[in-house]
Formats: sequence, C-alpha cells, structure tokens
Amino acid sequence: MLDRTIAPVIRPVEHIRFVAPERLLISPFAELLWVKDVDDEAVKIDLIFHAGKLRDKKIVAELTGELLLSGTPELSSTELNEAIDLLGGFVSVEVGPEDATVSIYGLTSTISSLIPIVMDAIINVDFSEKEFAQECQTAKQGFLIAQEKVGTLARRAFVDQLLGNTDYGRLTQLEDFSTVDRESLLDFHRLYYLKGLTKICVVGNVDRAIVEELVHRGKYVSAEKEYSFHYPFQTHPSQVYIEKEGAVQTAIRVGRILFNRTNEDYIAFSVLNTLFGGYFGSRLMSNIREDKGYTYGIGSGVAQLKESGYFFISTEVGKEVADAAIVEIKNEMQRLSTELIPNEELELVRSYSIGKLLKGSDGPFAMMDRYLAVERFGMDLQHYDEVIRTIRIITPEELKALARKYLVWEDMVVVKAG
Amino acid sequence: MIHYEKFILENGLRVLFHHDPNTPMAVVNTLYDVGARDEDSSRTGFAHLFEHLMFGGSVNIPDFDAPLQRAGGESNAFTSNDITNYYNSLPANNLETALWLESDRMLSLAFTPQSLEVQRSVVIEEFKQRYLNQPYGDVWLEFRPLAFKEHTYQWATIGKNIQQIEEATMEDVKAFFNKFYTPSNAILCVAGNLKLEEVKTAVQKWFGDIPRGQHPERNLTPEPAQKEYRVKTISRKVPSDAFYYGFKMPGRTEDGYYTADLLSDVLGRGQSSRLYVRLKKELDLVADINAYVLGAHDTGLLMISGKVNDGVDLDRVDNEIWKVVGALRDIEITAIEHQKNVNKVRTTKVFSEQGVLNKAMGLCLHELFGDANGINLESEHYDAITPSAIRESANKMLHQENCSRMFIKAIK
Repeated sequence: MLDRTIAPVIRPVEHIRFVAPERLLISPFAELLWVKDVDDEAVKIDLIFHAGKLRDKKIVAELTGELLLSGTPELSSTELNEAIDLLGGFVSVEVGPEDATVSIYGLTSTISSLIPIVMDAIINVDFSEKEFAQECQTAKQGFLIAQEKVGTLARRAFVDQLLGNTDYGRLTQLEDFSTVDRESLLDFHRLYYLKGLTKICVVGNVDRAIVEELVHRGKYVSAEKEYSFHYPFQTHPSQVYIEKEGAVQTAIRVGRILFNRTNEDYIAFSVLNTLFGGYFGSRLMSNIREDKGYTYGIGSGVAQLKESGYFFISTEVGKEVADAAIVEIKNEMQRLSTELIPNEELELVRSYSIGKLLKGSDGPFAMMDRYLAVERFGMDLQHYDEVIRTIRIITPEELKALARKYLVWEDMVVVKAG
Repeated sequence: MIHYEKFILENGLRVLFHHDPNTPMAVVNTLYDVGARDEDSSRTGFAHLFEHLMFGGSVNIPDFDAPLQRAGGESNAFTSNDITNYYNSLPANNLETALWLESDRMLSLAFTPQSLEVQRSVVIEEFKQRYLNQPYGDVWLEFRPLAFKEHTYQWATIGKNIQQIEEATMEDVKAFFNKFYTPSNAILCVAGNLKLEEVKTAVQKWFGDIPRGQHPERNLTPEPAQKEYRVKTISRKVPSDAFYYGFKMPGRTEDGYYTADLLSDVLGRGQSSRLYVRLKKELDLVADINAYVLGAHDTGLLMISGKVNDGVDLDRVDNEIWKVVGALRDIEITAIEHQKNVNKVRTTKVFSEQGVLNKAMGLCLHELFGDANGINLESEHYDAITPSAIRESANKMLHQENCSRMFIKAIK
C-alpha cells in the first residue's frame, strides 16, 4: 500500500550547462551574439540601440521608437507592414531607460528577406508629419488610460522619489504631447539609431551567411563611442500618498537605491530577496496574501541599472487594508533583521533558487538572456558558478546581517496610490 | 511535429508523454475538463475560486507548493470558461515529487476552512484588481451577457459579481470537487528527457489507485442562433470612447473554426489588416483597432474592438466598420492577402510551441478535443482554407443579426 504522506526522495541539481553565444565583432563599439542551437525553424533577432529614455526627453525616445517602422520616402507605413506581414514576420520595439530593442520574429526560411526590409526601414524612416501626428494622438490616449491606473500613479511617484535627481527619473507629462516636435525625433534618430547600434542578438539555426550579412549591415549604424550612465544615485527616504477618487484598491511601492550584479553583496542579497518577496512561498506572499488575504499578489525584486540598481516591493491591496499591509511589510523586514531564518526555510529557498536557475537556462532563448544579464556588466558566464556556490553555502547569520544592512524600514521610499 | 505516446489508466485517466531530449526540466500538466461554463448561474466564479483552493493542501499533504519548491520546481494554474489547467515544472530527476503532489490533490483535498476564507479574499482582490480598478476592466462582465442569452458563456470566469464569491460555502467546494475532479475528467501530460517506461511506472504508482468516481455529464444549453442585432451603450469614467463587436462563430472543434480565425486576421490582426489600415491610417478615426477570436470550445465570438480618437463620433466609426465588413462579404480577398495571413499563422504556431511546457499544454488541449495529434494537424487546416471559403465565412457570420455591439461612452 502506497504511503502518500511520505514525500519521494529529492535529488539535487548536479549540473547546469551554460553555453556562451558565438561573438562576432561589428565595430569597436558593437558586436553580434549568436546562439544557433535551436531545434526548429524559429528565429529571433534583436537589434539593440543606444536609444533609451535617459538620453533625451522620455517622450522623444518613446515616440522615435514607436515610429521606427512608420515608413520611408519610398514606402508608406502600410506598405512596409504589408511587406513584413507577407513574410509572416513580426516586429516589436521596446524602449527602455538605457536601450531600445527592435525584435524581429521569423522563420529560417524567411529571415533573410525580413532583415533588409526591417533594417532599411529603421535607417530610412522619415517621420512624416502624418505619422507623427497620429502616433502623438495614440500615445497621448495610452498615457491618459495609464493615468487612470493606481499602479501607474504609484510607479511614477516611486520613480520620481527614488531617481528624480537622475535621468532615470524622467516622467512624461500631459503637456509633452502638445510641445514635442518632429525635429526632436529626427535629431534623436540621427544620434542614437543611425550611430547607436550596440548589439545584435541572433537566436536561430540560420546560415552563417545571414549572420555575416547582419554584421556587415550593422557596421553602418554602429555606435561610435561609449556612453556614460553615471549619476549621483542616492535614496532620500520619504512617504507619498496620491489619492485617487473611486479606487477600490491601493497600489503600494516601497524601495531604496541599492546596487547591481557587480556589487559583492548582490548574489547574497538576491537569495535574501527570493526569501523575502521573490517567489510564491516568500515571506511577503505567505503573510499578506496567503495568511491575510489582503492582495492577489505581492513581490519584491532588484531592478538593475548600468551603474546602480534599486530594490522594490510592489503590490495592489484592498483600499481599506492598505495601511495594515504596509505595517506587515515593515514587520517582515524587521523580522529578517532580528530573527535568524529557520534552516528548513533556507534549504527550501536554496533548492528553489537552483531549480529556477536551471529553468531560466533551459533552451536557446533563455540562454541568450542569461548571457546578456552578465555581459551587460562586463562579466562572463562563470558568474553563475558563483551564484550557485553562494546559494548553496550562505548562512542564516549572513542573511540576517544583510537584512540589517539593506532592509531598514527607515531607509525606504514608501508610496501609496488609491 | 510534436511526438507523443498515450496510455490510459484503469480509472480512466488519459496520460500523454512527450519526450524532449534537450531540456533538463520536466513538466507535469493536468487539464481538468471543467470551466466557468459548468457553473450554476447562482454560483459563478466558482471554477476559478476552486482552482485557488487546489493549492491549499490535499488529503495527505498539508501544503502543495513547499514540497515542489524544495524539489526545485514551481507551479501555477489558470481557469477559462472551458477548462482548468494546472502545471508544474521542475528538474527532471525530481519528476516523482510533482506526480506525488498532483495525484494527491486529484485523490482529495484537505478542505480546510482557513484555505477557503483566505482564497475567497484573495479572489475578491483579484476581482477588484483586474476587473473593477482598471479603466475598461469590466468590459467582459458587461459584454458576455449581451452576446450569450442561454449558454453559460454569459458570465466571465471571475464570476458575475463579488457577492457570489462571498457566498461560496465549503459544501459547494466539496460537491464541485467530487463532481468534476475525477481521473476520467482529467488529462495528464508528462514531458521531458524521460523514458516512456519510467513515466508509465511512476504515473501508475501515483495515480493508479485513485478511485474512478462518476464521470460528469455535461449538459449545457446550446446558445440558439442569434436572430437580432443587439446593441448596448454604457458610460464609464474612462479617457476615450470604446467599441466592441462580437459575431457568433463556430466553436473550437466545429467546422469553420479555422476559417473564422483567418477571417479575423484579415479584418484586424496587425498593421496591414483591413480595419487598421482603413479606420486608423486612412481615416484617422481610431487610436487602436483589432479583430480576434476567443477560441471558445462551444459557440465562440469573433471580436472587433478598439478605442476612438478624441472628438470622433462612435456612429461614424460604426458606419466605417460595417463598410469594411461588407466588402469581405462581397469581394474575395486576393491570393496575396490570403497568403500573408497564412504565413503569419505559421510563424505564430512555431513560436507558440517553444519550450516543453507549451508543448505539454497544447497536447492536453488537443486530446480534450478528441486527439492529441490534432496539434500536428493544425497547419494543414489553415493551409486548406481558400479565399472563397473566407468570403463564405464572412457571409455566414458578418451581419448584424449575428452581432452584439457594445459602446463605452467616456464620462469626462
């Protein structure tokens, strides 16, 4: 008779295989990364430009990105999209604070036709008056809709409090939509797209000739210098409340300036973060969702910037329990600083974290992300051996010391919106 | 081509196995053939609330997540109007932990009052977060009862309202479990770099002794053919007016489903689609416009939705939409326009099947439709569709008597 109360034996993960992409130099300031080990026809190409939101007004960077495929003197936006669609291709543009990424999705059979269409479109885009006006209107509407969400209101105030004295803290205001002009987009495009390519990432089982063609094309638009990401990062603890009439939930953001992967405490802090708010069984989830039922979800994380980073907690809770939830967040922080983490809980977090690392390294697309996450800071894949080692040996005492150092309630920016 | 093996346990549990030599992970996916459509009209939102309770401990194991996390794994689930799907992924050498956990909650739940009370609150917060505290968040709460009059698709998976979630009792929970969570009402898929024999042995070991139970009969009232144009306008505190059109279409396994899917692509998938080009690029009437199908298993909906530009009259938009729709009834699309949409479907399919979890979920879903191998035949279905079939589909579906339309007027 099967005894279901006895758990099957758990076997540890013995080995995680990390494979570096092949690297091809495009220019002194740009390179191509290639993971070719894909077992089907899928191909994804990311073109990464030094065209993030901190280089100009946020709205200029965003509109330029949105309008990259809005047509050239030869092709209207519709003709261009028609050509991409006919090849079964998909293109998306994401503008982040530091970079803008154009992603092309296609198949091994079509990618060589998609590449010149997309790259020529990016280079020759003319930001016509009509396309510019339409996109402004669309973006403005999106902005107004987002402003109706408590999550947006809280995030904006949080960014302002935490990063307001740096270019990462830029926020779009409603009036920006009426003052922004086409010329600024043309300038931004010239500076950060025509001379802004920093990386091409190819995941796909394509012919080498295609990769070489990308290197060749990349030369014409590659970055010509290193850019600075240096700012005076510093937390000024504060408490902000934004009232939103009619809201039934309150968005909460708590956090502080911290560091990125290059800091010696980063890996250990990541373990602490997982335990605190980084997985379904975390302290925050267990207390605020699974015990109190205040929220659908709560989590914490470390957002990494090129030369710094910040720690954040994010949740939306019932309006009537918002203050109670904040008290619980504070309690959970203090518990980590005053009590040692029980062994059983730490063992669980060790196994979970290593399993998560294994899952996050599964498959060619995940492997590219893994590589980029360290390459961005000038590190290599050996960093993950250090991650595994730290997860395995970190002690409750070390974690408590980290909490005392970095998770101090009085150091936090606290924002409520709702 | 996704290869798989299939075997059935004596208690009726259908099991699929997909061998993937390239992944260090294993996936255990369990699909239960129960969704919001199986709920009583006075107990809506229940299938979804129940999904939350499946993580609240089972008869022999007090907590579902912790043992899985200790094995390096993680888990989640989703509920739709049609199905409830649970998935675990973990390092392949710990497969047995997932089977142990998944089988014990199929055997029976712990049914603790604490779990019900907490998950009730969590689901109410989910209701607020996703449906009430978002601009346009309550669209489907309003639209479903307009489009469906008889079929239980008339409510959203979250439920009609918070009150019904507040009223759920432990008796309801137990009855729901006993009725729907039987082995013969489930499909299990195990996927990873594993051997068929070891999977068979382990599945038999953990699931083999679960009592068969009674297979639930589904006896839903079909939605009668729509015979009138249904229109409704609501006012909300949102920045822009919005429009939603739903045309009745064949269910997921019915003839004409794939044709209707391609028809929706012609209308409004992407920036070279008919509606986007006409209403947004040429006429400057809308900020966004899309067409898509819901993929419902029974009678479905082909949707057209979007938001209008400032100062544009909804009636003008309405007029133009019907002109675009009318053209599809009257004139066949060209071979090139057709090929474009078939090509996009092909790329989408390749990307939607990346990773072992997506493959396992897809296999379970197609097994529910009658044959797991259906996942490998989908491309053939699309390839067989012709422009004239799309025109026929437009003539069958795209008229006012088959349409429900909802406008949201912005209160400034």
